[in-house]
Amino acid sequence: MQRSRFCFTAAFRDLFMLKSGRNMKGVIVGMAVATVGFGLIMANLLPNPTLGAIAPEAHANPVGLHLLLGGLLFGIGMVAAGGCTSGSLYRMGEGYAASWVAFAGILGGLGVASHTWNWWWRTYIRSAPIIWFPREVGYGGAILVTLAGLLGGYLLVLWIESGAPVAAADFPKPVTPRGFAASVGELYAAVFRRGWSAITGGLLLGILNVFLYTAHMPWRIVGEYARWANALLSQVGLGPGTLLGTDQLSGCALRTGGGVLTHGLLLNVGLFGGSLISALLAHEFKPRFSRNRLRYAQSLGGGLLMGYGAGLGMGCTVGAFFSAIPSLALNGWVFGLALAAGAYLGTRLLRYLP
Amino acid sequence: MKIDVRGEICPYPAKKTLEALERLPAGETLEVLTDHPPSLEMIRIIAGQRGFSMKVEEAGAGEWRITLSKMERVL
Repeated sequence: MQRSRFCFTAAFRDLFMLKSGRNMKGVIVGMAVATVGFGLIMANLLPNPTLGAIAPEAHANPVGLHLLLGGLLFGIGMVAAGGCTSGSLYRMGEGYAASWVAFAGILGGLGVASHTWNWWWRTYIRSAPIIWFPREVGYGGAILVTLAGLLGGYLLVLWIESGAPVAAADFPKPVTPRGFAASVGELYAAVFRRGWSAITGGLLLGILNVFLYTAHMPWRIVGEYARWANALLSQVGLGPGTLLGTDQLSGCALRTGGGVLTHGLLLNVGLFGGSLISALLAHEFKPRFSRNRLRYAQSLGGGLLMGYGAGLGMGCTVGAFFSAIPSLALNGWVFGLALAAGAYLGTRLLRYLP
Repeated sequence: MKIDVRGEICPYPAKKTLEALERLPAGETLEVLTDHPPSLEMIRIIAGQRGFSMKVEEAGAGEWRITLSKMERVL
């Protein structure tokens, strides 16, 4: 991630800010790879999906208002803080002080979300349906529907890009072809002939995500953060108590308890460590302190919004989106749309924050 | 014109570069000093969209000096 500058926040934000889909294309390619991989794994774990069960560890969760609100808050928060949960983690490894503040905010937001969880569970989540495509149309159909959706998303990105300023086309070496049709032709060349760093990053993450699922579970982040937040709160006597219904949910639903050494812990520590090593090797590591104090307030506020949003949405850009869409579940799409709306509002907000 | 955006988080280095380019008098070059790796890619996109050539030099550990100059229009 550190090497390819892979960033979920930029994927959404730059569509609105720069009309650039560089990162979003990488994200979509990564999900397409994982969709096929996850489909095969799940077909192995649960050969007949039409009987009502859901494949173990698939990130399929209830769809409803909580998901839209969670994604919206998370989207605003990640743009304000300059990075989502995974982005903040690897920026912490690059030496950004503001990302450590964002991390504290995320834990705080998850703590607050844990305290209000039972209300959300009783009011909305318990009665909200889980829509897992293989249960409706089998694995083949579900993979096709998901891939078609991703292709649609990709075309939408190309369409947004074709609205960018056209200065480059007037010059001897055009940077990218302009116009919708030319961009579609370019898609073929980019996928089959040339390398592209954000796409390479997305491909690698998609493949790694498939490996993670074969080892135990798909890539996820905030389920573990929530455990840390609630463990800390319990230490000072403010633990959230029993979280209703979370044992019936998958992915990154809020958690308490559990052992110290878990897959999730090792994954997060590995992401932080990998980024640190990568930044050191590239001579890019350096403690970075913003001279503008407003940034720390933005990071903390953004972190709190992300934490609360991730609590409601049962995951972040990773667990409720990058791992949920390939899990062939509707909740990933709903959360993704809400993230886009939140990122749009966040980008508008940045105009007022010098 | 020169701007120093060291210490800034995403997307501020790119945002400030964009604002500076809009204020840049014709014929001048813009020099951006940054320590934020992802902003190199974002500024590259901005330069491409607006017809600026971009030169990147390392200016110390984890710092870069970016020089943006308007390209000649070929019609």
